[in-house]
Amino acid sequence: MVESIHVEGLSKTYNGTVKAVDNISFAVNQGEAFGFLGPNGAGKTTTVSVLTAQLAPTAGRATVDGIDVFQNPMEIKRRIGLVFQESTADSDLTGRENLELAAALFGVPRAEVRARVDSLLERMQIGDAADRLARTYSGGMRRRLELAVGIIHSPRVLFLDEPTLGLDPQGRAGFWRYVQELRKDHGMTVFVTTHYLDEADQICERLAIIDHGHLVATGSPSELKDRLGGDIVTIRTARVDPAVEAALKAVPGVASVSLQEDAYRVKAPRGEQLIPALVQACTQAGVALTSVSLKRPSLDEVFLEFTGREYREDGVTATDRAVRIGQVSQAFGRSRR
Amino acid sequence: MMRELGALTRRELLRIARNPQAIVTSLLLPILYLVLFGQAFNLNNITKLSPYPIPPTVFLQLYRGAPSYFSYFAAGMTGFVAVTATLFVGANVIFDRLFGTLKRTSASPATPTVIFGARLIAGSVQPICLAFLVLGLSLLLGHVGLSGLDVTASVSALGAVEIVAAIVILSVMFASLFIAIGFSLEQPQTYFAIVNAINLPVLLTSAALYPWGILPAWLKSVASYNPITLAVNVLRENLFAGASAYYPYSAGVYLLGLFGWALAMFILAVLLARRALAPRH
Ligand SMILES: Nc1ncnc2c1ncn2[C@@H]1O[C@H](COP(=O)(O)OP(=O)(O)O)[C@@H](O)[C@H]1O
Ligand SMILES: [Mg+2]
Repeated sequence: MVESIHVEGLSKTYNGTVKAVDNISFAVNQGEAFGFLGPNGAGKTTTVSVLTAQLAPTAGRATVDGIDVFQNPMEIKRRIGLVFQESTADSDLTGRENLELAAALFGVPRAEVRARVDSLLERMQIGDAADRLARTYSGGMRRRLELAVGIIHSPRVLFLDEPTLGLDPQGRAGFWRYVQELRKDHGMTVFVTTHYLDEADQICERLAIIDHGHLVATGSPSELKDRLGGDIVTIRTARVDPAVEAALKAVPGVASVSLQEDAYRVKAPRGEQLIPALVQACTQAGVALTSVSLKRPSLDEVFLEFTGREYREDGVTATDRAVRIGQVSQAFGRSRR
Repeated sequence: MMRELGALTRRELLRIARNPQAIVTSLLLPILYLVLFGQAFNLNNITKLSPYPIPPTVFLQLYRGAPSYFSYFAAGMTGFVAVTATLFVGANVIFDRLFGTLKRTSASPATPTVIFGARLIAGSVQPICLAFLVLGLSLLLGHVGLSGLDVTASVSALGAVEIVAAIVILSVMFASLFIAIGFSLEQPQTYFAIVNAINLPVLLTSAALYPWGILPAWLKSVASYNPITLAVNVLRENLFAGASAYYPYSAGVYLLGLFGWALAMFILAVLLARRALAPRH
């Protein structure tokens, strides 16, 4: 496999004191979607800024598309696409003018500009608003315009810094659909930082988790989930009985059992195959079951596992957060590590 | 490179054109100065108070050959307005940074010199236009019963070229300085603090507004080297008949001096801007 991004021992210390990124190394294969996950202040934007030749690193080496980022920043800027965390579209220009400006700056052949701009406006569903000033755009339209501007030159590597922050679920789905199409069409590598764990789970072939400037884990979403030690089977019984816990623990294949909020949480690598044996164990202990549920580990738990903290989020809706916290606390009633 | 320069310049010009309120506000200061300040300080009116006739040579010395204070002042205002207008050109850089657009531009493959150059080209347009507007308005005021600019010399083609060149060079010089400062700073407050600390001293050590004849000698010698003075000298020598007698050098020499200033400032500005647009540390 050809490496698209290669990072070795990269560090960035701001003002000699703030260690934003601390000696991280990773590689991203060509055509891959690579997710960079971490809470606020973890060092995601700093990493993106360094890899896109906007910020000088304190130490380390990095190549993007085979080019040394620090030796040849201009060439890097030509080859990559970048969608910033914040809005950078020019409010005083129309959507179309924003794209035309980007096309000129990134050297899109003159003859192709019109067609490319039109097709991007169309695909991003801002065609109707193409000739309106960007200041009149809604949040979702602005995000789509940002993406269009970032990919106008069909970059080999696309950096997305929390690109869907503030988008509604529909907007997020649409955004990713388009990115996926681009990947299929151009074999583009995508490096994405995101707040949304579910998003990373769906989009990315591989992930890195960064916390306090350290890479704490790298791997495919399923690898990372596997490292958690398996599924969680939640068993509710008519009454709580210490004998049940002992019986569940005795079932072969069970990694651990805990009692939380009147429910037994059984951790096991192959949760679904164990359910019959677990049910049987309860019955034999003489306790009637009221419910059994199986939960596969999600990235929320992965995050909790590797950072020791629950995934904090800004910019999610209250229900979004409630659901997520509900899932996490259900699976990990007490704090881990 | 020319393509990026063209695209970025076009963007700047579009933004200026789409903010008419900014243009209207920038007209306010010159109009107030011309219609109020210039009228009030018309020192020739001192003859009305004096019990003795004041010989005309006194006024000629006072205004270095200009026929009236307003005429003298109008040329000075032209330079003053050009410089003041460049303050906002630099401030726009700061606002672009705050609104994120600068980030996009500096992440593009456009070189720092091109990014700076486009701003400078577009940013010089407004000061230059404003300066000519002041000249035009001053001429007009004389025809509506107010003190106005009396052009007493017959301006040659060369003279006209010198006048235009002086205005353009002065505008470009200060635009480049303030744009570079804009690139180097992040906060609007810091920018305005620094820029005011430059603008006012430069203005007040120039001969733009003061009647030359009564300046203390030390201020005269300081003012002689001031770039606004140099530009304004070019205008005054060309606009007023016999003015050359009051100036030690010809307009061409002052223009050359101004060009020297501008070149030095431009080089400094390019260096500052390139440093500011390089990958951050
Ligand atoms: N320009 C800067 N100067 C000083 N500290 C900074 C600067 N930018 C970011 N930081 C600090 O570096 C750390 C990482 O920030 P950042 O990379 O923006 O995190 P993330 O994008 O993951 O939220 C944070 O502690 C942040 O406060
Ligand atoms: Mg960030």
